[in-house]
Amino acid sequence: MSVRAVLTLPHPVLMATAAPVGDIDADALALAGDLVDTMRASPACVGLAAPQIGVARRAFVVDVTGHAKAVSCHGTFVLFDPVVVSAHDPAAAREGCMSVPDLTGEVARATRLTVTGLGIDGDRRTLSVDAFEARAVLHEIDHLDGLVFLDRVAGPHAVFARKTYR
Amino acid sequence: MGRLWLSALGADRPGIVAAVSGVLADLGCNLEDSTMTNLQGHFAVLLVVSAPDGVTAGALEDALDPVAGLFELVVAVRPLDDAPPPGEPVGPRDEPWTIAVHGADRTGIVRTVTSALADAGGNVVDLSTHLVGEEGAPVYVMTLRVTLPAGTAGDTAAGRIREAAASLDVHCSVHRDEVDLL
Repeated sequence: MSVRAVLTLPHPVLMATAAPVGDIDADALALAGDLVDTMRASPACVGLAAPQIGVARRAFVVDVTGHAKAVSCHGTFVLFDPVVVSAHDPAAAREGCMSVPDLTGEVARATRLTVTGLGIDGDRRTLSVDAFEARAVLHEIDHLDGLVFLDRVAGPHAVFARKTYR
Repeated sequence: MGRLWLSALGADRPGIVAAVSGVLADLGCNLEDSTMTNLQGHFAVLLVVSAPDGVTAGALEDALDPVAGLFELVVAVRPLDDAPPPGEPVGPRDEPWTIAVHGADRTGIVRTVTSALADAGGNVVDLSTHLVGEEGAPVYVMTLRVTLPAGTAGDTAAGRIREAAASLDVHCSVHRDEVDLL
């Protein structure tokens, strides 16, 4: 397992639809390990999707442990081939992304979510998440569909520069 | 009561907004719509104000002279007599959409996307761009609020805008603004 470089816009992998993982084999487990290691290498990072480390496969890791906005918290978890079963109660909030390092954006996302996928043991996991954990999961699933938060913002005034000047 | 537009631009310094709005207030002008923003160290002010009878564009420009001199601003004021009533220029048959474009910076992104928009009968309501990324690998991000013709014509227009962006190898999301009335 290793810490991988995080790709930033306009890398084409970030704009492509990722392929299903399928069986949880040695490659899938290595990918899960790299996702966890790379996420943990950045203290503020609460989630990472495989395309962000250059792997066009449908997998992500999330860990909102200790985050002030978290209500539900499932610790560190990796999901392969995730599918949103239900999503309710959208709310807008500001979010950033390691792959879009210079900007943040106001994005409306569901605050109650049921998501299902395969865990690292190959068994199906179905999780009910809410609040910040729901936002993190939806943000990562967007990456698997070639979308970043910029594709979800409500308009020009919902995008903010992280630094004032270049 | 007449309406005027005012633009001011200069190197950013603390106090520009306070000074300009102070002159407006002293003359009894009411600041209606405004956009004020920092563009890479230069502060840009664009305002529509309602002005009492007797406060002409020339009179307001003269009154702003000391502020323009103090802050080294380029100021222009013009009458807005034929302006439409306040509100977004959305025709009754148009619908609001949001467009997000991002990709490697290159010449022509704004022109190509907005030309496709205009050709499709769309109209820009609001547009913002950011040049970000690393030295040597600049990324251009553009976000627009636009209006497009209602119904399937809007979907066709959206498709043409996506195609235009794709011709420049930039990513483009085009979606209808969905408003939940609660």
